[in-house]
Amino acid sequence: MNTAADRTGDAAMENEHPESLGEQTLSMSAIKEPPAEEDVVEEEPAEEPVADDSDSSEDAGESGDAAADEAEEVEAEVDEAEIDEAEIDEAEGTPAVPEGEAEQELPDEAVEQLTGALAQLRQSVLDLKFGLDLPGAEEARQARAELLAQLEDYVIPRVRVSSAPALIVVAGSTGAGKSTLVNTLAEKNVSRTGVRRPTTGTPVLTCHPGDLPWFADGDLLGGLKRIEQVSRDAGPDSLVVAATEKLPQGVALLDTPDIDSVVEEHHEIAHRMLDAADIWIFVTTATRYADAPAWQLLRLARERGVRLAIVLSRVQPRSRETVMKHFVRMLTEYGLGDVDRFVVEESKVTDGRLPDSEMTDLRMWLAELSVDGERRSQAVRQTLNGVLDSFRTRVPALARHLEGHVAFRGELRTDVEAAYLGGLSRIEAAARDGSLLRGEVLARWQDFAGSGDLLRTIQLRGRAPRQMPERLMAFKAALRTGLESLIVSSATRAAEEVAARWRRRSELGATLGEGLDRPSEELVRRANRAVSAWQEHVMELIRTEGVAKRSVSKVVSFDPDALSLIFMVGLFGGSSDGVPQKLVNALLGAESLRAISVKSLSDLRARVSMLFDEEAMRYVRTLDAAGIPDESAATRLYQATYNLEVAR
Amino acid sequence: MTTLAPARAPLAQRLSALSKLVELGPGRLDKPLLSEAGTLLLRAGDRLKLSSEHTVVALAGGTGSGKSSLFNSVSGLELSPTGVRRPTTARTHACVWGLEGAAPLLDWLQIQWRHRFARASALDKGESQLHGLILLDLPDHDSIRALTDPEADRLIGVADVVVWVLDPQKYADAATHRRYIAEHAGADAVTVFALNQVDRLAPEELAELVIDLNDLLRREGVAHPTVVTTSTVTGRGIDSLKSVLAEAVSKRRAAVQRLEADLDRLVRKLDAPGDAPAAVDAARRVGLTDALCDAVGVPAVGDAMENIYAERSRSYVGWPVARLVSALRPDPLKALRLTDLREEIDGLADGVVTAQPAEVENAVQALADGLSADMRPAWRAAVQHAARTRSGQLPQALSDELEEVAPQLARVPGWWRAVQVWQYLLVAAFLLGAAWMVIALAGIPVGIAALGDTGSLPWVGIGMAVVLAIGALTSIACRNFVVLGASRERERLELEMRRRVATVAEGLVVEPVERELARHHEYNAALRALK
Repeated sequence: MNTAADRTGDAAMENEHPESLGEQTLSMSAIKEPPAEEDVVEEEPAEEPVADDSDSSEDAGESGDAAADEAEEVEAEVDEAEIDEAEIDEAEGTPAVPEGEAEQELPDEAVEQLTGALAQLRQSVLDLKFGLDLPGAEEARQARAELLAQLEDYVIPRVRVSSAPALIVVAGSTGAGKSTLVNTLAEKNVSRTGVRRPTTGTPVLTCHPGDLPWFADGDLLGGLKRIEQVSRDAGPDSLVVAATEKLPQGVALLDTPDIDSVVEEHHEIAHRMLDAADIWIFVTTATRYADAPAWQLLRLARERGVRLAIVLSRVQPRSRETVMKHFVRMLTEYGLGDVDRFVVEESKVTDGRLPDSEMTDLRMWLAELSVDGERRSQAVRQTLNGVLDSFRTRVPALARHLEGHVAFRGELRTDVEAAYLGGLSRIEAAARDGSLLRGEVLARWQDFAGSGDLLRTIQLRGRAPRQMPERLMAFKAALRTGLESLIVSSATRAAEEVAARWRRRSELGATLGEGLDRPSEELVRRANRAVSAWQEHVMELIRTEGVAKRSVSKVVSFDPDALSLIFMVGLFGGSSDGVPQKLVNALLGAESLRAISVKSLSDLRARVSMLFDEEAMRYVRTLDAAGIPDESAATRLYQATYNLEVAR
Repeated sequence: MTTLAPARAPLAQRLSALSKLVELGPGRLDKPLLSEAGTLLLRAGDRLKLSSEHTVVALAGGTGSGKSSLFNSVSGLELSPTGVRRPTTARTHACVWGLEGAAPLLDWLQIQWRHRFARASALDKGESQLHGLILLDLPDHDSIRALTDPEADRLIGVADVVVWVLDPQKYADAATHRRYIAEHAGADAVTVFALNQVDRLAPEELAELVIDLNDLLRREGVAHPTVVTTSTVTGRGIDSLKSVLAEAVSKRRAAVQRLEADLDRLVRKLDAPGDAPAAVDAARRVGLTDALCDAVGVPAVGDAMENIYAERSRSYVGWPVARLVSALRPDPLKALRLTDLREEIDGLADGVVTAQPAEVENAVQALADGLSADMRPAWRAAVQHAARTRSGQLPQALSDELEEVAPQLARVPGWWRAVQVWQYLLVAAFLLGAAWMVIALAGIPVGIAALGDTGSLPWVGIGMAVVLAIGALTSIACRNFVVLGASRERERLELEMRRRVATVAEGLVVEPVERELARHHEYNAALRALK
């Protein structure tokens, strides 16, 4: 990497050397015009790199790197160079640039560590999914996409090749003249201009031919397809790359679509470009400088701590003073008073370009960046650090949102569980309080008892048990229907309750619960099967475990089927000393009766809860289909953020 | 009356339909939509009460588009300050052509007194066609100031005519199009687009731009955009704008048209509540009654009654000899030492009729489901709720209602007792015969000659056989009578129970459901009237 940087540096030196002298002096004078800015521009390169250098040499020393000595040597050199450059603006300052720039790079190990941490962060962001349309989910999805694109297009490649030219993005409102500005600076019509709004839909990158390899197929903006020319059918993921000799080396200009026109895709592309840029040039106009979208962008710049320059274009010469004063006041109030500013007056645009006279200041500013590698890489680092800093809030914000999703899903699940638990307890209550023994069941029981069939189930030993299938079957069927209805009505109520609870939670709950406010179609069939199986089970219990007391079995025999029905009546009858209990008790004995009661009740509960589980699964499936990762995704995000901080 | 196309109902009728909707909507309509409808209703009422002689025209647009310059150009006076600082205008200015009667309207628009200006049309020759115009110069809606100031938003919402002042730089801003123009698409008659600052463009650029703007507006649903190109610097197009405004003002229809457009917009957002019958039809009533009868177990009650009568009647009308024989058989209950259980078992069959709550619930649910199948969810929930409001009381109400008609299983009809006496008489006769025989055969002296006469014994034997046969026949015949009577009783009972179940269901389920259905029907009708 060092060699690559050196090569670039050398090339820059060779190419720019003859011109750089003149331009640099010019640029210094240009910058001296607004005195407020001077301090910032002058001081920062002199102080910051020194601190950084010592950091990096410390790192090297700690890791026991043999290069420590070398680093110190170079550091000393750089220090001298810095002082030279700052104090006397001479040719000597220039050769220091490539070396200084090379030195700005982190040691390989640190780079690797950082890259690893970033890759981990990228993976954990990639794993995120916001499947529920909760309030803010759209923003979270967008934030995730932005974060991912920024990591892939900018942060990861930028960390790896910190010596690449600075990418300067030209962004702003539609009609502000971004394309015109880029065309004029490039002295070539690389981007289309016109009166139609919005004009530019595909970002256009333009740079010196020497820098072309960085962008033509580099990792920077790697997610975008390179195309030769702007065309109508270029997808939103395209990037036009054009080379021009007129731009100084080491800086590349990126013309972007607008941030505020009716074509919303443009805003996304523009923001993606902004996320991938090292330096922002924000272009606004005399009629636009108070627009809300413009200030949103400025706020973003402030939050991210990016290196920013502002161009106020299309200013009527006669109102220049007033507008500028007002704008500067607004900027100062906003905490952006010390940003580099340029004014472009409204003038005749010919062939998509402004008169060259309007561009002098801006051109100088670019040249300055080009020549002064120190300032450039400092700007690059400022933005990169700003972006990495922004991860401290952006990533946890995503994680928090994810936690919101997980919590929401948890709440919805609790609703389902609570509703079906309520259904189960309703069934249990009904089984205990005797309400099952009403209606047809009661009538059949009266029939069974009153017609003497009840007594006929018990026979003295030695007599063949009489068959009485008809009434018995009707009674059994009535019992089954009663129990089935109870299950169905409970399940219906539970389903309704879930839908109602979800609806009460939020609008999203209502959408999710749509079509789920009724029990499933198989419910009746399943309930039928469950109840039949339970009845069989109880009969089986009576037959196998209900061995009559010896004293009884000597004298009487009974029909187990009929007895099991009597037993069920006793079970659901509510009171504990009714006829059926007494009868069964006399036949089977209290202990055996209790055992069978407990077993059959728990069997019923098990069957009903299995049935309800299947019903509840429909809701769980709906929630799962929405696609929400588990809590660990959020934890991984926090972990990745932490690792990144450590690696920095 | 010969009208070719059915003209849309007049505004007054549509508004009364809307007020019906607002009245019926709560709980069935989305809250934001309902409040939007309510707001529109209030606004329409307010606007129609106020001067119909005046037309409120609002100049709206982004900051720097030249609203104030245009305002000054149209009014011909420097009323609203213009400037290069953005944003310039913070308060709405109003200029009135023909002041009488406008004050309440301006109050309603909340225009401050010091920002009201009047053009007395008598003084301005050639401006009489603008008489009745209230021109508003709005603040912008897209600057950072507008983020905290809803003034422009409010006035764009209430003005009769909105003139969108666009300029070549900002004409395609999302802030204007997405939030307002696309949203209010359809109000073509009361929306004008003024492309301002055209002096900055070359003629061919202007032509391209106008085409582009028209395309853009059509894409957003403005079918017939009225686009006027203006320049306050050269004065171009100001007269065209004035004549467009004059037309709107002279027709005195803009306020109504605006309200109609807003109604249309609201109607587009209102979903039909879905189809449902207007009342519970006979088939559904029968279905509900059937299901409730099943929940009560009407057929089972009938079965039980028949069987129990047959069983009980045996001890009265049965041939006592046969009963004696069966009583001699050993009793299993005795073997279990549960002899007292027999009475309890007899007591079980007491003929109490009850309803099973779960089945009642399912029956009501089925009715509501069937009725509301094609309704929108909110209405469906309302029907369900209506069906269930009183269905909690339904099982108890059914039990109470049917208590009176419940079969009295313990009842013993008089003729059973009569037959019983008759049977015992027969038994006595038989015993008498038997005694006679014994006496005659054994020759026990009794003192009655006839008894000793063995010659009559065959007759006695025949008499005894006849008595036996009569007893058996009586028993069989009576039991048949019992069964016949029971089944007739059952028929009567079932009919009576059905009738009572239907009555209870009518009061507790059908009536509330029908109220809701009527509400739904009314809502549907109002929505149709609104459309």
